[in-house]
Amino acid sequence: MSLKNKLDLWLPRLVLSPSLLAVLIAVYLFIVWTAWISLSSSQMVPKFDFVGLEQYVRLWSTPRWHTAVANLFIFTTLFLAITISLGLFLAILLDQKVRAEGFLRAVYLYPMALSFIVTGTAWKWILNPTLGLQKVVNELGWTGFVFDWITQPSFAIYCVVIAAVWQSTGFAMAIFLAGLRAIDTSIIKAAQIEGASLPRIYVSVIVPMLRPAFLSVIVLLSYISIKSFDLVLALTNAGPGSATEMPSTFMFAATFRRNQMGVGAASAIMMLMTVAAIIVPYLYSELREDRNAH
Amino acid sequence: MHTEARSARRSNQIGRLFIYGSLIALAAFYLMPLWVMIVTSLKSLDEIYGGSFIGVPQAITFEAWNKAWQEACIGTACTGLRPYFINSILMVVPAVILSTGIGAINGYILTKWRFTGANAIFGLLLFGCFLPFQAVILPMAQVLGRLHLSGTIPGLVLVHTVYGISFTTLFFRNYFITIPDELTRAAQIDGAGFFRIFFSVMLPTALPIIVVSCIWQFTQIWNDFLFGVSFTAGQSSPITVALNNIVNVTMGRKQYNVDMAAAMIAAIPTLFVYVVAGRYFVRGLTAGAVKG
Amino acid sequence: MKLTTILAASIAFMPVAALAESKGKVEGIHHWVSESEVKALKVVTDKLASKGYTWQDSAVGGLSGANALQALRTRLAAGNPPATMQFLGYEGLDWGKQGVLRSLNELYTKNGWDKALAPQLLSFVKNGDDFISVPINMHRQNWLWANKAAFDKAGVKEPKSWDELIANGDKLRAAGVIPLAMGDESWQILEVFEAILVDVNGPEFYKKAVVDLDEGTLSSPEMIATFDKLRKVRALVDDGFTGRDWAVATGMVADGKAAMQVMGDWAKGEFLAKGLKPGVDFLCFPTPTDKPNFKFVIDAFGMFKVDDAVTTAGQDAWAESIMDPEVQKQFNLFKGSIPARSDVPVDSFDDCAKRSYADREAAVKNGAMLGGLTDGFAAQPQFAGVFTDVVGKFFVTDMSSKDAVQALVDGINNAR
Repeated sequence: MSLKNKLDLWLPRLVLSPSLLAVLIAVYLFIVWTAWISLSSSQMVPKFDFVGLEQYVRLWSTPRWHTAVANLFIFTTLFLAITISLGLFLAILLDQKVRAEGFLRAVYLYPMALSFIVTGTAWKWILNPTLGLQKVVNELGWTGFVFDWITQPSFAIYCVVIAAVWQSTGFAMAIFLAGLRAIDTSIIKAAQIEGASLPRIYVSVIVPMLRPAFLSVIVLLSYISIKSFDLVLALTNAGPGSATEMPSTFMFAATFRRNQMGVGAASAIMMLMTVAAIIVPYLYSELREDRNAH
Repeated sequence: MHTEARSARRSNQIGRLFIYGSLIALAAFYLMPLWVMIVTSLKSLDEIYGGSFIGVPQAITFEAWNKAWQEACIGTACTGLRPYFINSILMVVPAVILSTGIGAINGYILTKWRFTGANAIFGLLLFGCFLPFQAVILPMAQVLGRLHLSGTIPGLVLVHTVYGISFTTLFFRNYFITIPDELTRAAQIDGAGFFRIFFSVMLPTALPIIVVSCIWQFTQIWNDFLFGVSFTAGQSSPITVALNNIVNVTMGRKQYNVDMAAAMIAAIPTLFVYVVAGRYFVRGLTAGAVKG
Repeated sequence: MKLTTILAASIAFMPVAALAESKGKVEGIHHWVSESEVKALKVVTDKLASKGYTWQDSAVGGLSGANALQALRTRLAAGNPPATMQFLGYEGLDWGKQGVLRSLNELYTKNGWDKALAPQLLSFVKNGDDFISVPINMHRQNWLWANKAAFDKAGVKEPKSWDELIANGDKLRAAGVIPLAMGDESWQILEVFEAILVDVNGPEFYKKAVVDLDEGTLSSPEMIATFDKLRKVRALVDDGFTGRDWAVATGMVADGKAAMQVMGDWAKGEFLAKGLKPGVDFLCFPTPTDKPNFKFVIDAFGMFKVDDAVTTAGQDAWAESIMDPEVQKQFNLFKGSIPARSDVPVDSFDDCAKRSYADREAAVKNGAMLGGLTDGFAAQPQFAGVFTDVVGKFFVTDMSSKDAVQALVDGINNAR
C-alpha cells in the first residue's frame, strides 16, 4: 500500500474524529454526568454522593411529574397527527398549480422562523377569551361563540397544541411539497386516464410514495415536540395550576427554581430513556436498510 | 358530450373554490399572531391599556419601534436592542458556517469513505439531536469555564456548533447518499485526493442542501434562548435574551407596544431568511433531505 | 507629523484617562427590568459612580427571577461569578451555606448596619455568624388595593374580615364592577391564599404551617377552612383571568372595571403612574384581619468571593451605596416599598408607605413580622413550590378543600 493510499484510508477518520469527540463529550459524557447526579442527593449545587434511586422515587411521587408525562403523550400524539395531516393537506392543495403559490407558501412557512419568545404574548392574547378570538367573534355578532380552553385546566394543553401546530405545519408542508414535486407527474396522468378521481389517486397512489417524507417529518416533529420548552413557558407558564406542565419545564423548574437538582436530573434521564426507546429502533432499522441497499 | 364537459368544468370550478377557500382561510389563521404583533407595535400604550388588544390602531405611531431599537432599557443599560442584534449576528454567522461546513464534510465521509463502524458513528451523532438541552447546561458551563470562554460570544459559537453537528451531518449524509459513488470513484481514478474530491466534486452539487442546512441552523441558533441566557451575561447577550429582559417584567408596568416592536425586530432576520430563501428551501428539500 | 503625534498620544493616554475616571467595575446580576425598578436602581448606581466605580449591568428578567438564578448557577459552575447578585428569600442564605459569598461583618460592624435593621429581617441577611448580604428595601405583601369610586358606588367600606370582603362581592357585582381583579398565575393565587391563611388563623399558625411545615398543622381543620375561604374568593374573580399579568389586573382596579386587588405594594406604582392619588382615587389597606400582621419581602445584594482586590473594593463601595440612608429613601420612593433600614424616616413618602412603616414598627414589637411565602421568605423553594402547585391547582379546578390539604401534606413529605 502506498503512502498516499494509507493517508486516504486514515484521513477520513481523522477529519471525522473532532466531531465525534465533541459529541462524545457534549452529549454522552454529559448524559453520564446527569445520570450520576440523578443518583446523588444534589439539591442546590451538584454533589457526587450516592443515594440509590431515591430521587427517582421522589420524582414518581410528585403529582406534577405525572401531569407532565401525561401531557407529553397527549401533546406529542395530537401535535404529530394534526401537523402531519394539515401539512400534507396544504402541500397537496399548493401542488394544484395555484396562483400566488410563493406568497402562500411564505405565509404557512413563516411561523417556523419565529421563536415563542417572540410570539408568546400575541398568542396569549388571541387565546384569552376576554381579549382575543372569542371577543372578536362575539363582537362580530356570534354572541354564543365560546373559546376559553386556555382557562380550563383540562383543555389548556390543547391550546399549546394549537400554537405548536401553527408553528410547525409549514415545515411539514415544505417537506411534503418537496416529496410531491419529486414524483413523476406521468403517474397521475396515467391513473387519470384509467378513470380514477383525483382524491382517490392521492390516497392510493401518491401518499404511499411519500414514505421517506413521512419519516423525515416524524423525526423532525418528534424532535420539536420533546424540546417544546419556550412554547409552554411563553404560552401558559405551565398553568393554569400546573395543567400544562411538560417534562422539559418540569426539569427546568426542579433544577433551577426549586433546588431539586437530583429530581431534575432523574427527570432528564427518564426523558432520555423515552427518546431512546423510540429513536434507537428507528435508527437501527433505517441504517440497516441502508446497508442492504448498498 | 357537451353536457358532460360542462359538468366536468363545474366540478372543476367547485374544486378550485374549495382549494382557494381552504388556502385563504388557513392563511388568515397563520397570519393572526403576526397581525396582533404588528398592530400592537403601532399603538400607543394608553390605547392598549384602554383595553384594545387586537383591534386596528386608532392612531399609528412608530415611537415604539424607535424605542425598542435604540432606547429601551435592560436594567440600567439603555441601549435598545441594537448592540444585542449585533451580538446575535456575530454569534450566528460563524456558528452557521462552522456547523454547516463540518456537517458537509461529515456527510461526505459517512457516505463516500465508509469504513467499519461508520453507521454506528452516524447513529451516535444522530442521537445527539434528541438530547434535552436543559440537562446539559451545568456541565457545559463547567467546560466553558475551563476553556475560559464563559460569558463570551465565542463560547456560544462553540456550543451552537457542537450541538448543530448532529443535524447538519444528518442533512448532508442523506443528500450525499443520493449522489452516485461512481462520481467519486472516477475522480479518485483521476488522482484526486480526499479534500480535492470534496471541494471540486461534492460541494458544487450540494448547493440545495447547503441552503437547507443554513436556513435550519440560522433559525435554530438565532432563536435560541436557553444557551444564550445560560452562557452569556449583560452586554454580550444575544438578542433573544435581551428581548426577554425587555419583555419579561416581573414587577412593573409592561410596555406592550415596545415589547411587540422589540419582538418584531428580533424576528426580522429569520423572517427575511424564510421569506426570501423559502423557495430554495423547498427546492433543497426536494433535492435531498426527503430521500433519507 | 504633528497630527500623528497627537493621535498617537491621545491613543496612548486613552486607557489612562478611562482608568482615572473609574477605579473599577462592579458587575451585578438582578431581575429589575421595569421602568420604575430601573429608575430606582439608578439611584444606587449613581451613588456607586460617585464613589468612583462603574456599574456593569447584567439584568436577567423573567420568571420571577428564575432566569437570573439560572444565569447565576451557570456562572458559578464556570467559576466566573458576578461581583454581586440580587437575592430574594432563602437564596442568599443558601448560597452563603455553599461558601461562595463574602462575609460582610467588617462593613456591618464599622457602620453599625445591624442596629438599623429589624431583627426578623436580620435572619435573611445573616448566615450563622456572617452577614452575607445588604438589604435595600422592604415590600409589604399583604395589601388590598381598591378603587374608591367603585366602593362608593356599591356602598361598601374597607372590609374588616375576609367574610365581609366576600360578602361585599355581591354588592360590587350589583354595581357593575368585578369584585376582585387577579390573574391565574400560581404566585398571584398563592398571595391571596397566604393572606387568608395568616389573617384568619394568626401569625403563630402561619409560622407552624408554612415555616415549620408541621404536619399536624398542615392537615388541621383550620387549613381546610382556609381552602374553603379561598374557594369563595374564586367566585369574586372574572373569567378572563387567564394569563393576566398582575399589572393588568391593577390597571382594572385603577380604571374602575374591578374593585379590589390583593397584591404587594409594588402595585402602588401602577396607580401613581396614572396620576391617581392614594385616599382620593384609590385606597390601600392591609388584607382584612383582626390579627394584624406584616408580610415582608426584601431585596438584598450578596457579594461573591473573588480573588481580586479591585473587585472586592468595588463590592465594599456597592454595599455602602446600598446602605446609604439617602439612597434607601430615594430608591424606595421610586420602587413603592419602604427602606429596609428602620432608621430612615418616611415623612416624604405617601400615605400608603407611611402606613406600611407604622405597621412594621407595631409588627416588630408584636412578633407579627412574617416572611412572605410567595416570594420565598417563609419556606425553602422545594416546599414553597408544593404550596404553589397545590394552591394554584385548587384555584383553577374544582378540587375539594380536603383533597387539597391531603395533596399539600403528601407533597411536603415527598419534598422533605
